Parts: sequence; C-alpha cells; structure tokens
Amino acid sequence: MAQMIQKTTCFERFVHMLLALSGIALLLTGLGFLYKNELGWLNTIFGGVHIAKGIHDWGGLVFIAALVLSLGTWFTECLKWSKEDSKWIGMLGGYLSKDKETPPQGKINAGQKLVGLLVIAFGALIGISGLIMWLSAGSTIWFLLHNISSMIFAIIIPLHIYMATAANPGTFRIMTRGDVPLYWAKKKHAKWIEETGAK
Amino acid sequence: MADTNSKKMSGVDTGRKGLMITPDLCIACRACQSACKQWNKLPGDKTTNRGVYENPPNLTANLYNQIHFIEKPQDVGIQWLFVRRACMHCGEAGCMDICPAPGAISRTREGAVVFDKEKCIGCKLCAAGCPFDVPKFDENDKISKCTLCSDRISNGLSTACAKGCPTGAIKYGRRDELTGMAKTAGFNVYGEKDLQGLGVMFALKGDPTAYELPAKPAYDSSIALWDSLIRPLSVIGLGAVAAGALLHYLTVGPKDVEPDDTSGKGGDQ
Repeated sequence: MAQMIQKTTCFERFVHMLLALSGIALLLTGLGFLYKNELGWLNTIFGGVHIAKGIHDWGGLVFIAALVLSLGTWFTECLKWSKEDSKWIGMLGGYLSKDKETPPQGKINAGQKLVGLLVIAFGALIGISGLIMWLSAGSTIWFLLHNISSMIFAIIIPLHIYMATAANPGTFRIMTRGDVPLYWAKKKHAKWIEETGAK
Repeated sequence: MADTNSKKMSGVDTGRKGLMITPDLCIACRACQSACKQWNKLPGDKTTNRGVYENPPNLTANLYNQIHFIEKPQDVGIQWLFVRRACMHCGEAGCMDICPAPGAISRTREGAVVFDKEKCIGCKLCAAGCPFDVPKFDENDKISKCTLCSDRISNGLSTACAKGCPTGAIKYGRRDELTGMAKTAGFNVYGEKDLQGLGVMFALKGDPTAYELPAKPAYDSSIALWDSLIRPLSVIGLGAVAAGALLHYLTVGPKDVEPDDTSGKGGDQ
C-alpha cells in the first residue's frame, strides 16, 4: 500500500459534493425546461414538470448556499496565481502531448483554479438572475443572462468532469475519499508537497 | 393542436381566424366583458370607485377582455377613446417560446394561443415575454388569459365577445377577410404584419399610440437572441467538448502516474 497524503478535508468534500449534486440536478431540470421540445423528457424522469420546478427552485437555494461555502473554502487559493500557473495555462496543461513537462503546481492546479473562478463568477450570475426570476415576473434580460451563464456552465463542467476522471486516473478519489498516494501528489502537485514538507 | 413552437405556423396560415377591433364603433357598453365572463365562467372581481367609468382598471385572472377608457382633455370636456385589451394571439408568440413547460401554452388550428392550467408550472415567464403585458395569474400562480374562445371557434361559433358586441366594434372571422373589409372601409389595419400577424387587429383612422397601442409591437429581443444565437452555439459548444474529450482520450490518452514512474514525464492534471 502506497503512502497516502490527505488532500481535502471532510468539509471540503461535503461542499464540493453539495455543489456538484445540486448543480447537476439544476442543469438537467434546466435543460428540460429550456429545450422543452427536445429534452422535455428529462423532467419526466424527475417526476414531471411540477416536481422538476420544485427541484429547480429549491435546489437553486442549495446551490447558492454551496456556492457561498465554496467562496469561503477555495476562493483565496484560486486567486493565488503564480508564474507557473500562467505557464501551465499557456501549454494547456500539457494535455496535447504525453511528453510535455508541466511546471510544478500548488495544491490546486491552474486549470482547477480557472474552473473554480469561472464556477464562482457564472454561478453567482445564475443564482442572482434565478432568484430574480423566481421572486418576480421580472424581465427577459434575466432569462437571457441565466441561460447564457448556464450554457457556459454546461460546457465547463463536462470538461472539468472529464479532466478529473478519465483523463487523470486517480483524481476522482480526491472528491470522494480525500487522500491520494504521495507519489501521485509529488507528480501532480509538486509545489504543494514541497510546502507541506512530506517525504 | 399542441405545437409549442410559435414560429411554426403550419396549418394555421390558411383560414387563420381572428378579431378586428374598431375602437371608433365602441360605445363602451362592456357587453363583451360580460359575455366573456359568462362563457368562460369567470367570477366578478371586487373593485373600488376610482372616480372614472373604466372598471375594472386592467385585465385580471378573472377578466380576459377589458375595455380601456382613454380620456383626452378637450377645450370643452373630454374626448373618450375605448380600446379593447386582451390577448392579441400573436403569430410569433413570445409567451409560447419562453414557456418552459411543454404544452402549457400552445396554438390551435385556428391560430389561437391557448393555455393548459394543468401543465402550467407558474413561473410567469410568459408575462415577461409578452409585448402587450397580457398574461395574468390566478391564486395558484397559473396563467389566465383570453383563448379566442377556442372551444367555441373550433365548433364554428364566433367568440363570445364578438357575439355580445352590439355595434360591430368586435368582429370575428377569417383574418384575411377581416383585413380586406377594414381596408375597403378606409381604415389602417394595426397588426396585419407585425409579429407574423396579430390574431387580434385594430381598424384605426389615427395613430396607434393615441390608443395606447405600441407603435411597432416587437418580439422580445432576449428571447430572439437566445433562440437564434445562444441556443445553437451552446449545442455546438457542448458537442465540441464531448468530441474533444473523446479525441483526446483516444489520441493522447490519459495521464497515468505509476508508483515507479521516475522519468519526470507525465505532468500535472
């Protein structure tokens, strides 16, 4: 058994799980509403449009709460942008080739920081416009803003899921168990391991 | 029925039914308001005296059809204009396109925009998407508005309001015939072409804005932008991510980290 190192706390995993599950439920019901003629069946799976609306409204509150918790949990870390991070983004994380050496990354790598910041920014826009539409008849501007932000979400999140599962075996464990093998962390988050002083 | 995309007017263009409103013929007797309430079995609304003859002041969930009194001060006394307020049954209906609940708002074969309260989820987006501020909501937040008496016209009857009107200010019939008649009589027809033709048109002598009608009723720009640009872009974007991920997995492949990997290759996730 390889030596393990704890990467996420129980609280961090709880917040991420809350954000992920509420986000997925909102995305699926939302797609069912927005593409009612093509994807209306999604809401049939959720138990019909009336239940789907309840899930979308109240799930939205859960999402907003999770987003606020995320802000407190990862925002400062996401803002710590180093030269290595810019280099990492510049070479697209070295994903275009198997032999590319990427600069050493902190506890959260540049791609994850970018996803984190985008999720917080567009999540806030979605939350605010959603609340306005829910609480007042409002204007179609909020409808448009809600949809554009959600579509950006619908493109970022599948990419994030691919990167954290199939593209990088071993990563998904961070979200479920929280610990990773030390040799894995040394490779993927060299700067963090250096800071923690783990051997 | 039940085509929920308003831009598909197939089967509706030929013999599309509608109303022609001639405000100059209206005497504000409000027989149309009563006939509408009677046919649609709508209870009365309790109102208060506002010092004007107009009553109730606007459409409500129990009032699908209202006569709006416009008072224009003259040198001596006032001039009254009477305008019927109700759903315009737009050819290009923003309410129908923005509605997220399948079948809650749909179009009948006669071209009427109708609703189904059982399918309505009470989000009220239809009101935001309506250029005429028509949809109102009942105590359960369900949409409530004129249906062009679709249950009457589908059986060959005229609408209740047109039947109740004693002066011919509300005429029911085929849209093309109604516009022809109004033009022959020397009126300008409001709503003949706007929004792919309104189901409810006005025969006017003057400026529509004098009757508090929007000069150029327009399809909501946010819904149009979503429908024409963002919707296709998002499908392309999602497709690109899926295709890109698959292509990446099959060509470059995942970044495994082996316990004995000391080559220095690989890299960050």
